[in-house]
Amino acid sequence: MNGTTTVSLVGVGGQGILLAAAILAQTASAEGLDVKASEVKGMSQRGGSVLSTVRFGANVWSPVARHADVVIAMELLEGHRGLGLLAPQGALVCAITTRIVPGSVLRREDEYPDDLPAVAAARGVRLIAVDAEALARAAGTLRAVNVALLGAASTVLPFAAASWQRGLAAALPGKILEVNERAFALGRSAVSNEEVGP
Amino acid sequence: MERTLFFSGNEAIAHGAVRAGAAFACGYPGTPSTEILETAAHLEGIHAQWCVNEKVALETAVGASLAGRRTLVTMKHVGLNVAADPFMTLSLTGVNGGLVIVSADDPGMHSSQNEQDSRNYAKFAKIPLLEPSDSQEAYDFVAEAFALSEEFDTPVLLRSTTRISHGRGRVIRRVPVVLEPRDYARDISKYVMVPQYARLRNRLVLERLQRLRARAEESPLNVLEAGTADVGIIASGVAYTYAREAFPKAWFLKLGMSHPLPYRKVARLFQQVSRVAVVEELDPFIEEQIRALGLPVIGKEAIPADGELDQDIVFRALEPFLSRRPPRRRRPVFPPAPHLADPPPPAAGLPVRPPVLCPGCTHRAVFTALRRHKLAPMGDIGCYSLGALPPLLALDSCLCMGASIGMMAGFNKALGRKAAAAVIGDSTFFHSGVTPLIDAYYNEADGLVVVLDNRTTAMTGHQGHPGTGLRPDRSQGPVVDIQRLCEGIGVRCATVDANDYGALDAALKAELDAPGLGVIIALAPCVLMVREKAGEIVVDEERCNLCGLCLDIGCPALAPTADSVAVTDVCTGCGLCIEVCRRGVLSYAGAP
Repeated sequence: MNGTTTVSLVGVGGQGILLAAAILAQTASAEGLDVKASEVKGMSQRGGSVLSTVRFGANVWSPVARHADVVIAMELLEGHRGLGLLAPQGALVCAITTRIVPGSVLRREDEYPDDLPAVAAARGVRLIAVDAEALARAAGTLRAVNVALLGAASTVLPFAAASWQRGLAAALPGKILEVNERAFALGRSAVSNEEVGP
Repeated sequence: MERTLFFSGNEAIAHGAVRAGAAFACGYPGTPSTEILETAAHLEGIHAQWCVNEKVALETAVGASLAGRRTLVTMKHVGLNVAADPFMTLSLTGVNGGLVIVSADDPGMHSSQNEQDSRNYAKFAKIPLLEPSDSQEAYDFVAEAFALSEEFDTPVLLRSTTRISHGRGRVIRRVPVVLEPRDYARDISKYVMVPQYARLRNRLVLERLQRLRARAEESPLNVLEAGTADVGIIASGVAYTYAREAFPKAWFLKLGMSHPLPYRKVARLFQQVSRVAVVEELDPFIEEQIRALGLPVIGKEAIPADGELDQDIVFRALEPFLSRRPPRRRRPVFPPAPHLADPPPPAAGLPVRPPVLCPGCTHRAVFTALRRHKLAPMGDIGCYSLGALPPLLALDSCLCMGASIGMMAGFNKALGRKAAAAVIGDSTFFHSGVTPLIDAYYNEADGLVVVLDNRTTAMTGHQGHPGTGLRPDRSQGPVVDIQRLCEGIGVRCATVDANDYGALDAALKAELDAPGLGVIIALAPCVLMVREKAGEIVVDEERCNLCGLCLDIGCPALAPTADSVAVTDVCTGCGLCIEVCRRGVLSYAGAP
């Protein structure tokens, strides 16, 4: 709305969503844009769903938005849920191999959804499915799933590589910067190599 | 002939409560409210006790109400500030036995540090407000308040002031109210105010307010009294008596139930007369609501906004305004019923992901042990509030910080047995659990208090508290020892390793069998602060009969399989599942 872009990051508490949001906010700021972010994290350590929203543009008013232009999902079920947050023509970047199974599924009261590509296609959503766990492992730590996904998302976000570099450096402590830079680069190239236009 | 009863308002409230079938009364002394409880203490059929403060008094009263008793709780206006935490959320949970809160205000500050107008609290909490204007009404309104409380499932605020509480008047006794006994029924989504349930209750509160307004329109407590002059006066409480004496020819709308305001009754008065004034002590509580209807009213521009009124003040204040040219007649604009936010859209059939107790959390062990006993465990605010959710369903209430112990005490006192327990976290215990423990000891309440001591304020992200001595910068300060604190009060207290399920279970059982009040400190650091795994748990699928006992503990690390159960990689090795399995399916790897 009004030239403001909205990115929603979704996942499960403990997946590094807030850190990914911080990197994104720093990157947008490095581009000289206004940024606002909002998060709901009271239950984040207890296995609940976590949502963080980052909005950027020349002048951002509201810290929240009903629909996002891009949803970055750190987990498959949350990716399904994230479809409901997407604006028309939005893109969903999802860690397609990451499954954190909720209790109701463990207890067999619910079924874990398994058809994200079909559902996304039916909705006309551009799905960027990434094996973020494999990329993070290749980079050197499973903890970098969040940043590998950001790398994948960078292919649909309007920021220069140098700005991403500055965003990563601004948000990450020095000792884990390098491994995350690798994860980011792997995520970015994984999409650029596979994707053939929208 | 029977001697004329000449009661103070406070005596009338106490007698009125007993007549209405109230069986439990508590409060904290404060002028001008004190004599209500002192009177009740000498009456038959009602238990009366002083509590350690107004917050604990209200929580104790809530416990007695849950137990099915009509309950009266008394305090002065500033005491309601102390009780504001349970008060605000009690509006959401509602009651079982009727619950009436008396706040006695002190306009003029005869004996108070401020003269706040308690009526604002009724609006704040969206509950009914009754304002008696003499001793007979004080006596009668209590019964009406209890009836409203039960019919609308809400606490009711009865607001007195110095001249009502300490004024005297004739009181005619009424026939005692005959009550159907109310049993306690566990209702987690009504009494456990975790966010998902509180959101639903909050919508009911907003709807209830509309229904209460409709009742206020019908209520015989709100009376339109015809006059002969072209003047109407709206008044409540003692101010009504002043205005009545000062302007005997005026029309009156006497508001005994002044919140929610009966808009249409107000409008009817405006149809009868061309000038209307509101006479009320302290805040323009009624006046502002009438102005919001777009009706021209004389209020605080004439009537003093501070101090007490009397008939001379009212007469001198209003007289010049009433001789002025009447304002142009206007039609009221009634506020429409509020629009409620759209409920969140259904999750498209996706499994929800409610927050859960972490794998290895020792609160799970306490809940697993506790729920084997027929008890109503009163909960508190913290991670352990999650114990109320499926499949544990281990808590009966969650009202506000520190409420568990007072609620347990009131519940057990009302039933005369150890029917409830309390669970409270270490940080919450320091927040507001110490005063109700002192209170429970002083009032000889029966009960078991379990302090879930995980050595941190876990829910909000592991902040320090007096039990750890940790400061915000993680530097170490002095430490308060919970067990010594409890023993200092005089309460029996034992500490048990919450990771040792057998010892924990035995300690709880022993304490439940013992008479009186006791505290068990279930001690184990928050599992999120313990990095190393306690052991590898393996499954002997041959022995499993799919009974599901292990799944009932709600551990996220256990997943059912087609013919047994699987231990997933989030397992911390706490071993609680080993304890609950009766067939030895689960065991530590390498154990004999």
